[in-house]
Amino acid sequence: MTKDTSRLRLAVLGMVVLSLFSALLARLWYLQVLAAPSYKVEAQHNSVAVVYTEAPRGRILDRNGKVLADNRVVLALVAHREKVGPNSPVLQRVADLVGDTVDDLKARLGDERFSQFKPVPLAVDVPKEKLIYVREHQDDFPGIEGLQLTERVYPNGTLAAHVLGTIGEINDKELAAHKADGYRAGETIGKSGAELSYEADLRGTPEIDKLEVDSSGRVQRSLGDQPAVQGHDVRLNIDIDVQRLAEESLAQGIDLARKSTDFLTGKPFLAPGGAVVVLDPNDGSVLAMASNPTYDPNEFVNGISVPRFAQLNDPANNYPLNNRVTQGLYAPGSTFKLATGMAALKDGLITARDTFNDTGSYTITGERPETVSNARGAKNGIVNITQAITVSSDVFFDWLGQRFWDGRGKYGQAAIQDVARTLGMGDYTDVDLPFEAAGRIDEPASRETLHKNDPANFPYPEWYTGYNVNMAIGQGDTVVTPLEMADSYATFVNGGTVYAPHVGQAVLDQSGQQVRAIEPKVVRRTEIPASIKDPLQAGFKGVVASPGGTANAAFAGFPLGAFPVAGKTGTAEVAGKQDTSLFTAYAPADNAKYVVTVVLEQAGLGATAAAPVARRVLEGIAAKEGVAVAPPAPVNRVAGAD
Amino acid sequence: MRAARNVAAPWRHLDITLLVATLGVAGMGLLMVYSSTRPKQLSAGLDPGYFLKRQAAYMAIGLVAMAVVALVDYRRIRDFMPILYGLALLTLILVVSPVGTSRRGAQAWFQIGSYQFEPSEVAKLVFVVALAAVCANHRGDLDTGGLLTALGIAFVPMALIYVQPDLGTDMVFAAVLMAVLLVGGAKPRHIALLSLLALTGVVAIVQFGMLKSYQRDRLTAFLDPQSDGQRSSYNLRQSQIAIAAGGIGGRGLFAGTQTNLSFVPEQHTDFIFTAVGEELGFVGGVSLLGFFGVMLWRTWRAAVLARDQFGRLVCVGVLAMLVFQIFENMGMTMGITPITGIPLPFMSYGGSAMIASFVGVGLVLNVHMHRFE
Repeated sequence: MTKDTSRLRLAVLGMVVLSLFSALLARLWYLQVLAAPSYKVEAQHNSVAVVYTEAPRGRILDRNGKVLADNRVVLALVAHREKVGPNSPVLQRVADLVGDTVDDLKARLGDERFSQFKPVPLAVDVPKEKLIYVREHQDDFPGIEGLQLTERVYPNGTLAAHVLGTIGEINDKELAAHKADGYRAGETIGKSGAELSYEADLRGTPEIDKLEVDSSGRVQRSLGDQPAVQGHDVRLNIDIDVQRLAEESLAQGIDLARKSTDFLTGKPFLAPGGAVVVLDPNDGSVLAMASNPTYDPNEFVNGISVPRFAQLNDPANNYPLNNRVTQGLYAPGSTFKLATGMAALKDGLITARDTFNDTGSYTITGERPETVSNARGAKNGIVNITQAITVSSDVFFDWLGQRFWDGRGKYGQAAIQDVARTLGMGDYTDVDLPFEAAGRIDEPASRETLHKNDPANFPYPEWYTGYNVNMAIGQGDTVVTPLEMADSYATFVNGGTVYAPHVGQAVLDQSGQQVRAIEPKVVRRTEIPASIKDPLQAGFKGVVASPGGTANAAFAGFPLGAFPVAGKTGTAEVAGKQDTSLFTAYAPADNAKYVVTVVLEQAGLGATAAAPVARRVLEGIAAKEGVAVAPPAPVNRVAGAD
Repeated sequence: MRAARNVAAPWRHLDITLLVATLGVAGMGLLMVYSSTRPKQLSAGLDPGYFLKRQAAYMAIGLVAMAVVALVDYRRIRDFMPILYGLALLTLILVVSPVGTSRRGAQAWFQIGSYQFEPSEVAKLVFVVALAAVCANHRGDLDTGGLLTALGIAFVPMALIYVQPDLGTDMVFAAVLMAVLLVGGAKPRHIALLSLLALTGVVAIVQFGMLKSYQRDRLTAFLDPQSDGQRSSYNLRQSQIAIAAGGIGGRGLFAGTQTNLSFVPEQHTDFIFTAVGEELGFVGGVSLLGFFGVMLWRTWRAAVLARDQFGRLVCVGVLAMLVFQIFENMGMTMGITPITGIPLPFMSYGGSAMIASFVGVGLVLNVHMHRFE
């Protein structure tokens, strides 16, 4: 009896045990068989960290393969964050060793740009002896290690700074724009210049290191490493010798202007800055692009300091970061007469033989009569268009301006402006550099728009005959960039093809093989018939070669026989400022391979300030072309009329 | 000669199956302790086999203790019961006095050199034997007086353990008590009443702030494993991820990222089953359950075959102790039972529990061997 209940009770106990076991088995089956796939993913996320390390950027080379932007190996002291905390005494020792403050090191230690799974650089560019010291005294420096890092370097310092541009840490806006390209916070990206426009080529493929990490974030081992691949090299059209010559000559011209007296004000010229650009008119390739004042892109490599950046942006320092070739907007002055002359010949307003008596002044007739004069009161007598260009007769072009406006029923309201635009003025040139500015050509329509948008600075919406006259000689509200001006003359020189200027020539892989060519880009093609080109061409040649030419003095002693130069000077009046000095030249005159545009801000006459700078650049170019020419002498100011 | 034959006689009835299953579990335990401690030891530059060696030593001591316990006729143990019970209570009192050591919020250990001794593990077995002895006196018909005596025997050590506090071990005591009372012949209404009381007690403890908040969190985390932020539910979540990530075949020995990278807490002690689940998979988990199943079956069988009520109840007590710990511990790692600090018998790293479990099996072997005497 007793035994029977006991057995029954044991059976009950057995059932309980069995059911508990069944529950365990069922749960195990659910977790490991039914739900396993999703849990596996979760386990993976738990334990794998992916660390990206930037690849070295590709180099930037000049057209002959000379290195303009390179990478260098720097020695760095890095800290392993799992061993070095913000309060580690080792920080003080590192600070003493490298001559830094503990606070700086702490800030670097906490820098979120560096993966928590990779050592963070505490001090970069550390002398080798100090690295060796740390290695030999490793017990005093737990968690500190010496490493080699690569860093961007511009071996020529400021040379071609505006072409090369700068790099820096990617910001939120860039990150959002480049998300699809796999950029990550903290990465380096091109910020300006070719570094920016060829970013996609220069940037390499980052190293992807999959690390196994434990729950406290300590790295256990690598699960696989995809090594970094350096970016492609970019070869530019820039010729470093021409570039150096252009920068030197520009600096000399500016320096000289500051030492010269402006007869209009009786004070020295301010000459805050200037630009030189050398183009190949046959394909738009840029051989040199100089902007003054300038800066050293090396300063930006590890992040430029805030005060230094403020200094570079201080108006008192004349904006050295601006590329005046692509961003500076200047009234073209007489260099604009190319467009006016072409329009007059094209529309049959005049023929090459038509003359006008330049008495030194021109009286505008119409609703607001006014008399305007040549600069410095020059009287050029009876001139045709060729002679008018050579001597830069404002009166002749004033006359054309008036006639175009008087005949606007026949020629249209913007006959000159349309030709200027056809040549490449008044619009973006589409150069392969970022942040280009677009010029603007003065015309009735644009005056209205400007007035509507900004009545304080543009109080007169109306258009008068006088405005058309002013516009015809490159004054008024017309502004162009030096690059637009060079591109327009290139169009004239090559017979009507507008190229987008380009500094890039080819993209190369690290073995030097060409990945792709950066092809010349045609923006527009027009035909400039000989009947239009020849009279103007004769005028431009005369500017340099004929004794009455405005730039003749500037080219005294230049081997024009072996290397004929043509061009046009310009002196632009700017309200409230000293005159802008401009000169655009091309050579060899009849089969031009080079167009050189020089602009000097507040530096006087084009013939006096800008033309000698161009001459010096052309001397270097002539020497490269095998012409016997004396080594370039320092820039000189010369007398002139425009 | 005579003496040798007398001693040898019971050995002929040694339950080899139970022994093999026990050694199987303990062997798996050694492997998993090694696997779950090696990477951490290696990365700290310490001996990777440190925990393995210590666990193996505990196992050896356990085997000797098992042999000793199996050798002495269990009926003679009954004679020493009052002394053993008294000693057990004394150690439980001492451990909550300043003599004991506090670790992870519970005062439950004696620190002896680099070893810790946990008296409640030993008290568990003494309680099993004492309870069996009391209940056996009533020959399968437990009246109110007997019931109250049994409850009294349970109450004192449970109260002392509650002071530590070690709720898990108290729950093991409760399970043992219920099982022994059931088989020991308690009236069904008494059992129903006790069950109701236990249920009310649990609800009251959880509801009315008789627990520290971390204790309540641990106990209730399994009800909502998705809730983030709390450490307990994080542990639970990681533990389940580890087991599930093992899949059918497991990720291979030493290859469990959850286990090796410390995502799972207490991986070599309370959460050792996660290492089995992750590295050996469903196959390994079922194998372990199989070993345990055989162990419990043989224990249950020993209870059925026992020649007297005392032996039967001892087996039932050991059975209840093992089954509750297995269910609670494995269930905890898989998220179906509350998190408590109960070790998995023969698997979790730790000397006291290992030795106590072996002694428990020794008792069962003893009852089995002496069933014809």
